[in-house]
Amino acid sequence: MEPTEQNLLVVVMDVNPAQKYVRSDIKSFFHVVDSVLTFCNAHLMLHADNKVCIIASHVNQSHFLYPLEIRPGQQSKVTRQTDGQHEVFLELERCVRNQIKRLIMDESFGKFDSSAAVIGANTATCLASSLSRALCYIHRKDKETRPGEKLNSRILVVSGSSESTAQYMAFMNGVIIDACVLGSYATLLSQGADITGGINLRPPHISGLLQYLMWVFLPDVTLRKQLALPPPDPVDYRAACFCHRQLIDQGHVCSVCLSIFCKFSPICTTCNAVFKAPPMVLPKAKKKRPAAGNI
Amino acid sequence: MGDDLDDKEYRWETGYEKTWEAIEEDADGLLDTAIAEIIEKGRRKRLEERRAAGHVRLGIMRHLYIILDLSNSMMDQDLKPNRILCTKKILEKFVDEFFDGNPMSQLGWIGTRNKKSEKLAELSGNPRKHLEVVRSITDKYPCGGEPSFQNALELALSSLKHMPSHTSREVILIHGSLTTCDPGDINNTIQELKSQNVRCSVISLAAEVRACKALSRSTGGNFNVILDDTHFQDLVHEHVEPPPMAGLTESSLVKMGFPQKNQSDDPSMCLCHLEDTSACKLSTGGYICPQCKSKYCELPVECKVCGLTLVSAPHLARSFLHIFPLEPFDEIDPVDCICFGCHKSLPDNHKHIYRCKQCNRRVCSDCDLFLHETLHCCPGCSSSITSANQLNF
Repeated sequence: MEPTEQNLLVVVMDVNPAQKYVRSDIKSFFHVVDSVLTFCNAHLMLHADNKVCIIASHVNQSHFLYPLEIRPGQQSKVTRQTDGQHEVFLELERCVRNQIKRLIMDESFGKFDSSAAVIGANTATCLASSLSRALCYIHRKDKETRPGEKLNSRILVVSGSSESTAQYMAFMNGVIIDACVLGSYATLLSQGADITGGINLRPPHISGLLQYLMWVFLPDVTLRKQLALPPPDPVDYRAACFCHRQLIDQGHVCSVCLSIFCKFSPICTTCNAVFKAPPMVLPKAKKKRPAAGNI
Repeated sequence: MGDDLDDKEYRWETGYEKTWEAIEEDADGLLDTAIAEIIEKGRRKRLEERRAAGHVRLGIMRHLYIILDLSNSMMDQDLKPNRILCTKKILEKFVDEFFDGNPMSQLGWIGTRNKKSEKLAELSGNPRKHLEVVRSITDKYPCGGEPSFQNALELALSSLKHMPSHTSREVILIHGSLTTCDPGDINNTIQELKSQNVRCSVISLAAEVRACKALSRSTGGNFNVILDDTHFQDLVHEHVEPPPMAGLTESSLVKMGFPQKNQSDDPSMCLCHLEDTSACKLSTGGYICPQCKSKYCELPVECKVCGLTLVSAPHLARSFLHIFPLEPFDEIDPVDCICFGCHKSLPDNHKHIYRCKQCNRRVCSDCDLFLHETLHCCPGCSSSITSANQLNF
């Protein structure tokens, strides 16, 4: 018998009100939520075994929107069918909407709500945290699968935030990260998508988001080869130097702590290692000590 | 034989232990949970040990030769299906893990059989090429004759001694034979390896061999004899972590390039497949060297034209994880809460709960291991760090 395959889709949704598209038109945020929900329903509809998890990513916090964990003491609410809609869809929709509402009503959220005019320093979304939580969740589900079953999981990031270099984290291999970037170019996400073999897409119009999601991100990873996908953007792999925080394409890297410098410096500011001057710059350094121990 | 004394006693010299008493049945009369707990404890202990070693300087840029015994003794069937096939399977996994954890390192292969040694692959940093080498070992190099460890070590040394001094030079010797056929005194080779700061570790598939033990001890490596195939895998896996730097090594600033990935519709030649006669050399996308504009399909690579080391920023970030590991979490008493990592309600069947020292978020034991072994990043802290850093800049 063929092993049954499950598809787990983890959607990391950026609900930060400081996103560019939200600031320009508040209604478009609800449009994005609608599109993502419809997309999740479509994913669930593809196969009875398909699973969805939605994580909201916000300033300094991330929340699981769906599925909600039922504590042992609590009674789980039974969702009854209304309007002939499938219970799972209804449950998902209600759950996510309630959670988002709670997030918006939350004090910390309200503080930023009027940020259309003032963009404070502290408006970066903590994508790193949400992504690591998504990976933890996938890890848990992976452990929970019974032998003979296979779990294919991927992550879709829907975000319109400008990124911060502070939350630079390395992505784990093995899980495919798709990025759907609304707005400006996001270096981190495009790198993540490229390394893990995912797609980085920037839809030109937010109004057509659902169509883009359905077209590019709904099909299975194995089916992607057969699709005519939009050509990938060039991926920026440049690193930021530690001294001036600028992106450079050539630099010097400390062999001890891997700090990146844009110019040669005789001492590493991070780990205090002392470097030999390169012989081309200082011909004096050619004077070799016999006890150097190399070659 | 005074220098042979070791802290480690042999099994038959230790006291009488009732090893079976550590295993207890759970409520259903099963041993699964007890065994899982023992395994978990072992993993945690290893993490703890690594932590206890403190701030040692690690050799992040590694040059590693794996010396494979391809003698007759590798055809023994004590490992299933036989030694060489089992080794091959484990090494395939190792190649993946090695380059995952050490993207700035290079690997090379040496085989020894029929009293000779030969280089199966030069040092290089391309995981795909190494996988091909490992897969083709049994077809291209059938096992036979006697091995020669001295020849193999000399071969590794001749290549490693030209590597820059800020890198870590390592050799892993995997052998199944208890004899070696050498042209000279192997002790001289060991001395030479020691003086060149080459760290030699030995994994023996059969039994302890004195020469091998002396080799690993004097060069600062590990010597291990495998118990079974899972233990073998564990031992090989230990070498994924970068070792502490051996001896006094210099530090230097290495010039590196961070190329951009380009995707153009026009096919063009890439330099990495130039010597490959079989496949088509034209491809559409690739990484462009910022110094000389030559194209490569994969990173990291050393530019063949201008000699610049090309890496990507995520590669550097992955290596960072070894330098700044995640602090171990505190174990706390089970309370009703939800795991911050995987959103599971806790406590679930008598498992422990862990708490991050910095952000006080609680996670389950599965997530704790996953965060420390694979992710190296606390989800709670990474959300608060953002705010702290944002305020600084």
